[in-house]
Amino acid sequence: MIVEELEGIAEEVARQLEGRVDEYVVIVERGRREMLKLSGGEATVYQSWDTVEVSVYTARRDGRILLTELSTPAPGASVDEIIRLLDKVEPSPLYAPLPSANGESYRSVDPAIISHLEGVETLDLGHDLEIESVGDIAGMALLGAEARVFRNSYGDALRGEKTFFQGYARVFRGSVSGQWSWTSTSYGGAKKARRAIQVARELADECASLPLGRIEPGEYRLLMSPMVAGSLIDTLVRMTNAASIIFGSSFIRPENVGERIFSDILTVRDEPRNPALPGYALHDDEGVATRDKYVVRRGVLETLLHNTKTAKLMGHETTGNAGLIMPRPFNVVVEPGDVSSGELLEALGTGVYATNIWYTRFQNFVEGAFSTVTRDAAFLVKNGRPVECLQRFRITGRMRDLFSSIEAAGKEAWDLEWWEIPVPTRAPHLLAARAGISSV
Amino acid sequence: MSPGEQVVGEDVLHRLVEKALKLGASYAEARFHAVRGHTIGIMDGRVFAAGYEELVGVAVRAVVNGGLGFYSTNKLTPESLEDAVERAVRAARIASSNVKKPISMAPSWIGRARYSVWEARPLESLSLEDKIAEVRERAASADLAKWGVEIRRVTLFYQELSEHKILVTSDGGVVEARIPRPLVYYNITASYQGEARNRFSMIAWSGGLEGLDREDLTGNMEDDARSLAIALREARPGPKGRMDVVLSPELMGIAVHESVGHPSEADRILGREAAQAGLSYWRELKIGDRLGSESVTVIDDPTIPGSFGYYLYDDEAVQARPRHLLYRGVVTEMLHNRETASVFGVTSNGAARARDYKSEPIVRMANTYVAPGDYKSVEELIEDVKEGVYIKKYMEWNIDDYRWAARYVGLEAYTIRNGRIGEPVKDPVLEITSPEFWSSIDAVARDLKLYPGFCGKGEPMQGVPVTMGGPHARLRRVEVR
Repeated sequence: MIVEELEGIAEEVARQLEGRVDEYVVIVERGRREMLKLSGGEATVYQSWDTVEVSVYTARRDGRILLTELSTPAPGASVDEIIRLLDKVEPSPLYAPLPSANGESYRSVDPAIISHLEGVETLDLGHDLEIESVGDIAGMALLGAEARVFRNSYGDALRGEKTFFQGYARVFRGSVSGQWSWTSTSYGGAKKARRAIQVARELADECASLPLGRIEPGEYRLLMSPMVAGSLIDTLVRMTNAASIIFGSSFIRPENVGERIFSDILTVRDEPRNPALPGYALHDDEGVATRDKYVVRRGVLETLLHNTKTAKLMGHETTGNAGLIMPRPFNVVVEPGDVSSGELLEALGTGVYATNIWYTRFQNFVEGAFSTVTRDAAFLVKNGRPVECLQRFRITGRMRDLFSSIEAAGKEAWDLEWWEIPVPTRAPHLLAARAGISSV
Repeated sequence: MSPGEQVVGEDVLHRLVEKALKLGASYAEARFHAVRGHTIGIMDGRVFAAGYEELVGVAVRAVVNGGLGFYSTNKLTPESLEDAVERAVRAARIASSNVKKPISMAPSWIGRARYSVWEARPLESLSLEDKIAEVRERAASADLAKWGVEIRRVTLFYQELSEHKILVTSDGGVVEARIPRPLVYYNITASYQGEARNRFSMIAWSGGLEGLDREDLTGNMEDDARSLAIALREARPGPKGRMDVVLSPELMGIAVHESVGHPSEADRILGREAAQAGLSYWRELKIGDRLGSESVTVIDDPTIPGSFGYYLYDDEAVQARPRHLLYRGVVTEMLHNRETASVFGVTSNGAARARDYKSEPIVRMANTYVAPGDYKSVEELIEDVKEGVYIKKYMEWNIDDYRWAARYVGLEAYTIRNGRIGEPVKDPVLEITSPEFWSSIDAVARDLKLYPGFCGKGEPMQGVPVTMGGPHARLRRVEVR
């Protein structure tokens, strides 16, 4: 199904909605994906998807709104029912007049990925990842393409096409492991993937070469790898989403905008226009032009993430981060610092180096009290040298305290995306002066 | 609203499976899978969003030369479905080129059945506006402010997951199931003298809207507001160190799910989820090994009527049955699908589940609980505690990826002194290994309660409906921080 066919679906729905609702947006999206999943150095399954999904947002000027998510090849048949339902709901406090689209169409595709998905020239993922040479490796590699069309009640029509290649690898050396991920908009001979596998392998090897140790609970200096920093920064950015604040799921308060609430080392951007990262998009789900923006600039919270609905409710402007109901980030980028890779452990001095985490949970969203659990390689570092490979432990505390104590960032940033980093994220190492550690 | 209501029938699915076999598959299955329903979002009593969502499509799985392939599409034309089979077989061939140990499916109790969950008040019998009115009225009836704290925000979502699936396997399985699953989840944020707390909760079941009466949304919301008020107004730092701990069914539920249910999943034990949800300390155990005390029996049972995790046949057409994971503290059974059962030389116990047509069936829990004991009540458990803590509700929890060490932080908790419940305790932390947790239990009450949730696993991540629970239980001499 090519983009013109998606436009045909959108036009058909738009034609049926025209004159019967005050405002509408129709987004038709085709997603094609292929995934090699590995465990124990072999394929456990090869999965493949080809789906077309239709999102229809409708509104009346009195504030009634309805969102319909359809997975049917003939969504036009549903329009009568959509209109009937729209007339039955009541005005929403989130309603804002739909803006006309000022965003642009975009296309950023890697022909190698497209030709693989179309079965023209199959990429040999297993061979390109060189899994044979790694030994005990688990993980996944995902190739995909997304084509979408946007159509609204002003007659604006936009297109978006992109490809992506992402995944992660966990390499085992006996009872210890290293894990790393990658994300990209192009295949590039799987170079990024091989580099991530190499990092995972080196972390596992280094941990295996050290005595196993257990960390005593307490407060430590903490070096966060890009995997750890990326995961926690993703969580932080989720807290700057205006919907999280409105729904009571964030420690950020509206009055924090403009305030220095983190260390001045910390700068975080949302970069929808960065073509190297898979969240690349030149328009959001309301058709508004996306823009790269500082979310946190040298520790100051510069903006929340808004669509027109949350912006109206909070008296702000949209930041071009629309989902049809809730805002969303596109690509999270943490600004690198000036510490080279070779100097990171020296900068840490004595403390803990965590290379991966999972299962971040909050005791209290409103105050940002959280804990997260390390997995894979973690090191006790003394005087700049790793001396023990640490068993799993927890990083605990308040988000604001942790990010207020950042005292350095690494020079090199990594493009990451996996289970615990759901938004494509570019992150360097971050060094925190104080972090709570607990363990059993 | 049921736009389209398309169904890919059994006869078409049979043809797809036959085609996969002709193309070289040693095993194949085709599944039509639809999940549909209304959604409603309410904030402080006002509806901020409403809608309808559906996921309708077909998944085909095939084993070729020992490689497993999966293909999923919602393009349901005859040509697209024919193509789906070719794609699944192609995927299996790609997998087979990277396989050392060929995959096979264990012979199991394959079903030929059609069943549906009875709805006293069918979801389709109420219009969207009537559902909005009913859910809002029940939420509005909850008097949340009566506990003396400021209720800053109440966000509530009503959602329906009405599932219809038809599954055909190449070895004779044919199962059609209709399972409606409504749910309501909410977040209450409260504050008192500058301090704020929030509580997420959920009620959910399989069946019709009659569950709204049974699950008591209003009462649950009021009780959660009470817990927040106690945590904010009355709780003070409590005792720390080794002591006895009494846990509520809510705490026992999350503990049994995280530190017995997940570790018992055979795919995790084999390492198939190693880079995602991780491994399992059950790799070091074998059937017959002791993990917990004599007081601990753990069951995972998909067949509990009305439960959120209910099903009678899994997504490989295997008949579901209760699985005794632990019996009196001894490991008795793992959770299997047909692939893992083949590796262990057993039959599948029907734990293969897929969230929707985009998802491959993998080993999952359903309704996991600690079996009731013989203590009459929580009071009887506490009677014998000289100094300890009773944890009734929690907010924060997590567990490492080996399922070895978990952490639970109490939201509503109390001291226990000389056999009586005392003052509220602020944020007691139980950070404990799984073996210590299960071996320190010396008494279990007769009460049993199940709590619904979504359990995440797989790649792409699949959140499937489950419940988890147990009775009140007493842990001797564990460390509270």
